[in-house]
Amino acid sequence: MMKNSFVELNGRQRAFSLLDENTGREIVGPEFDFISPHLEPQNIVPESDDGVIVVKGKLDGKTAVIISIEGSFQGGGIGEVSGAKIVAALEKTLEDNKNGIKEYPVIVLDTGGVRLQEANYGLLSISEIQNAVIAIKEYVPVIGIVPGRVGSFGGMSITSAILSYLITTPKARIALNGPEVIEQEAGVREFDSSDKNLIWDTLGTRQRVETGIADEVVDDDVSAIKDAINNAIEQNKDAHRTDQADFYLSLLDEIDFAQPLNTKQYRDLYSKNKATKHVVNEATASQQAKTKSRGRLWFEKLTGIENAESNYPTVLHAEKDGKEYIAIVPDENNRFPRVRKGEVGLQEGFLVAEIVNKIVDEDKDKKEKRPLILVVDVPSQAYGYKEELIGIHISLASAAAAYAKARQAGHPVIAFIPGDAVSGGFLAHGLQSNRIIALADDSITIQAMSKASAARITQRTIAELEEATKHVPAMAYDIHNYEKLGALYKLVQDVSSWDANENAVEEIKTVIDEAIESTENQPTDLHFRYETPIAVESGRKATNKMRKTVFEQWNQ
Amino acid sequence: MTERNWHTHRDAKAARLNGASALLDGKFAKTEDVVKVLEALIKPGDKVVLEGDNQKQASFLSEALAKVDADKVHDLHMIMSSISRPEHLDIFDLGIATKMDFSYAGPQSTRVSQMIADKTMQVGDIHTYLELFGRLFIDLIPNVVLVAADKVDREGNLYTGFNTEETPTIVEAAAFHDGIVIVQANEIVDKVPRVDIPAGWVDVVIPADKPYQLEPLFTRDPQAISELQILMGMMAIRGIYEKHNVQTLNHGVGFNTSAIELLLPTYGEQLGLKGKICRNWELNPTPTLIPAIESGWVDSIHSFGGEVGMEKYIAARPDVFFVGKDGTMRSNRALGQVAGQYACDMFVGSTLQIDQWGNSSTVTHGRLSGFGGAPNMGSNPTGRRHSTAAWQSLKPADDPLAKGQKLVVQMVETFGSNKKPVFVDHLDAEEVRKEAKLANVPIMIYSEDTTHIVTEEGIAYLYKTDSMEERKAAIEAIAGVTPVGLRSNPEEVKKLRDKGIIALPEDLGVRRQDAKRSLLAAQTMDDLVEWSHGLYNPPAKFRSWS
Amino acid sequence: MEKLNFTYQNSEAVKKFVHVGVVASGDLEILLYPADETTIEIVTGSDGFKEVWKNVLDRFFTRYPLKGKFVIHDFGATPGVVNLRLTQAMEALNDEK
Repeated sequence: MMKNSFVELNGRQRAFSLLDENTGREIVGPEFDFISPHLEPQNIVPESDDGVIVVKGKLDGKTAVIISIEGSFQGGGIGEVSGAKIVAALEKTLEDNKNGIKEYPVIVLDTGGVRLQEANYGLLSISEIQNAVIAIKEYVPVIGIVPGRVGSFGGMSITSAILSYLITTPKARIALNGPEVIEQEAGVREFDSSDKNLIWDTLGTRQRVETGIADEVVDDDVSAIKDAINNAIEQNKDAHRTDQADFYLSLLDEIDFAQPLNTKQYRDLYSKNKATKHVVNEATASQQAKTKSRGRLWFEKLTGIENAESNYPTVLHAEKDGKEYIAIVPDENNRFPRVRKGEVGLQEGFLVAEIVNKIVDEDKDKKEKRPLILVVDVPSQAYGYKEELIGIHISLASAAAAYAKARQAGHPVIAFIPGDAVSGGFLAHGLQSNRIIALADDSITIQAMSKASAARITQRTIAELEEATKHVPAMAYDIHNYEKLGALYKLVQDVSSWDANENAVEEIKTVIDEAIESTENQPTDLHFRYETPIAVESGRKATNKMRKTVFEQWNQ
Repeated sequence: MTERNWHTHRDAKAARLNGASALLDGKFAKTEDVVKVLEALIKPGDKVVLEGDNQKQASFLSEALAKVDADKVHDLHMIMSSISRPEHLDIFDLGIATKMDFSYAGPQSTRVSQMIADKTMQVGDIHTYLELFGRLFIDLIPNVVLVAADKVDREGNLYTGFNTEETPTIVEAAAFHDGIVIVQANEIVDKVPRVDIPAGWVDVVIPADKPYQLEPLFTRDPQAISELQILMGMMAIRGIYEKHNVQTLNHGVGFNTSAIELLLPTYGEQLGLKGKICRNWELNPTPTLIPAIESGWVDSIHSFGGEVGMEKYIAARPDVFFVGKDGTMRSNRALGQVAGQYACDMFVGSTLQIDQWGNSSTVTHGRLSGFGGAPNMGSNPTGRRHSTAAWQSLKPADDPLAKGQKLVVQMVETFGSNKKPVFVDHLDAEEVRKEAKLANVPIMIYSEDTTHIVTEEGIAYLYKTDSMEERKAAIEAIAGVTPVGLRSNPEEVKKLRDKGIIALPEDLGVRRQDAKRSLLAAQTMDDLVEWSHGLYNPPAKFRSWS
Repeated sequence: MEKLNFTYQNSEAVKKFVHVGVVASGDLEILLYPADETTIEIVTGSDGFKEVWKNVLDRFFTRYPLKGKFVIHDFGATPGVVNLRLTQAMEALNDEK
């Protein structure tokens, strides 16, 4: 009856417990007291490892890198320092594998996703983690463990879908949006966050494994988990979770979003579903006026297509001057009620993945890769019960993975932000770009979560939250503070979001062309963000310091 | 000279029932008529028992009572063992009731305090359960009792099953002194599984709109047990359970005692204590005892009440629990309190404050919580005559007429989770007495009855002290850095250790680094389910697995 | 949040770095470094407990006069938990591993 529980262990003990006895060596351990610089200004007590523990050692004789997120520190949220630690460790692992040194990364996910107290840093970091994971998967599987207590939520669930293989215990839940957030955003009738049975039946790992969101449930026992990891590595497992767009789009064709759907009904639909090919037609002009948005406005002006439409009302793409423009737009009558304001929902992520993967495939043997221009106006991901039941994070991950692969294959991926860039929507459609251009327009919201939800989750008032944004730019909701993080290629000062006049469009086209040019003969990763003058000077100072420290200690 | 009428109560009862006859079909009234029934049967100034037990609440009747016309029904004198629901107090705001005699007011303790201060509620007294039950037969004989049953048959026989608790006691007080017994029923059936209360004691039955409220009050999630609680549990097992050879006992509700229950099959087993200690229990069916039961530690358990989710498990373990022929447990709070007070060698409980002399109370500023059963369990019954090894082990050596003593153990961390000191010079209860104009300070367990205090610092064997000065010094020695504890000094501690009046973990052979959660036989609720072979079905609010 | 600093004149030199605990709710982490002076730097999420901290430290150091630099990140631990973690840090110093 007595087991050696893995869940009971803290993050550091978990990391060491997976490695062969006395082989583990921690990278940037607690003695460096490398705390987040953003917590104390908000009156929050820091932790010496910022909640991420990286240990290199042997796993059944093989070299492994265990990255363990401490779920009991700030809910396992990813901030600038903890995120940079993960990214740096993954990049070194990638480098070693490229150099022929086999190293197996294992990520213990016990995380609420973005640390809301460092909001925009969390989003940037998570996109960088996803980029590194995709690159490493070319060499070795990247195994994830979701042991439970916190489980895996938010942006890190998008990451979980990108991993090669996901091992869980019965004590874990996996979702994009937690029930509290859905209740806050969409009401208690959408998802009752006090109904524990509903929560565990929907988001718990037993349901998740039956519906392709996780791969294996093992007992909460250290040796059982270790065996499962070993097995996955030896069999070179890969769930290809982000390569299932046709499967999911076919599944979504079968579901009536106006009707209730319970867990059993969904399992049945899932098991019977057959993938059929889905294609998103290039947008064409029409007579019918569409739901207005900043994203649609700029897509139409940049491509010259009036009242653009395709066979899917929320996803537009078109080639213009050798560049592929892609936009996610609102559709007030959409059959998915949760995406009517332009949110990235179940269908949108998979459709974007279809478009991008097709282009990458077409350009596979070409020397010149088509640039991808993302017109970003995404107010958020879709908040809904069915979205979580089906696994909206897989949809978002499919889009993010497609963009990352395109970039890594040599396509310039340029995000142009004339509208909102929020949360999972931005991770899916925008943050995998190697250059980000934004308009200096006050109407733009750029954040990880709405103020109401962020206040509820961090147990602060909205007034306290707004106070915090004064001390920590990453907490702010406006593009001017966002610029201070150093991630932008350019903040265009004299163009308004809602005024896409001829001159403005020409100016943006020029900036986009310059951005594309700036990627020539440059690395296809996301390092640009760390290297802008603002990033070096202040915006990513802690990131750069953490990267340097990890690199120094990697081979000691 | 006219003959005195010796049956005025009976006449009055008959008149009331007659007045309600239009609403009644035999004993049965319609659900929708409940308010009218209460208005017809309850008269101003009546003594009314409203069943609010520890776990079970006659919620349908309490909601209805709050809806009666206060012009018709007012100035009631309520008698309740537990004030648990908002409408238990709403009836005072509405003028339906004016006076309250009660035992426990856990969830409503803040509002009770407030209502006393506002003079909305007049308090008769705060009782222990046994006192309150006793007074129902002496000077608080009820005119009307409002109780809850699971199933009622066509004749009016009641099945109260698992959660029988104090229903028979309340009903008996009314039924045999011409009070009116009104029952809310979860279900009307042709045949009850067994008769817990005979139809002859029952006057009116009303089918409820929904089942009575039932709370899993005694379920503690092992997930929330801390290392300090484990450390204290280890000390208690070594320094008290083993040392005094305790066989018969009662555990209060709390994480400290849950920790002990989960340490028995691991730490207790390592010490070779299985079969040697804690065999017979008076205890609510706490899920955290499942691993000890399954490991063969427990011979018998009698219970005050039931516990949600434990039904199937208990039915499958009739050797251990008190289970009827029908296969369901029967609980009985009155007999449980008697057993706990007189038949058990030890009570282990917890509190919010202990003063410099060793008096303890859960009443703090602004919270008049009452005590429920703790003062009965946590007192030395001087009427006790039977002897056991544990009881005898506390007998003073130098008195030829001396007898044994009950072990009354308080387990507390020196500071509460709110970082307020548990050890204080004066209990808040002293001030509360003045504010609420109570005759006595609401002390839960008196110093004279407290034989042991366990903290994370050590154990004080108070029964060994021979003066109040020494008792205070022993308390100071284990009170950590609370204001009381700061008075202690190393020399004094050494002296007390040498005399065996206090013991530190090292004196007991308990190593702090061993106090790990991995030592718990179950660390989560689903571990308990597994231990129970799937028979325990925890309430949904405890679910944390798929 | 509040920052507290204390110094002590202790005799038993700490020979190596040790770390215990997690900054979880009701818990704390202690970083203990070898140093020539005994300093304690505390960041605590519960304000207004300076006196209690001093009492806990006075007691602990009376028993174990460890000379070194203590860095403590506290997320609302009770004095009992603080004392337990300090004792665990002391025990970890003696661990061979």
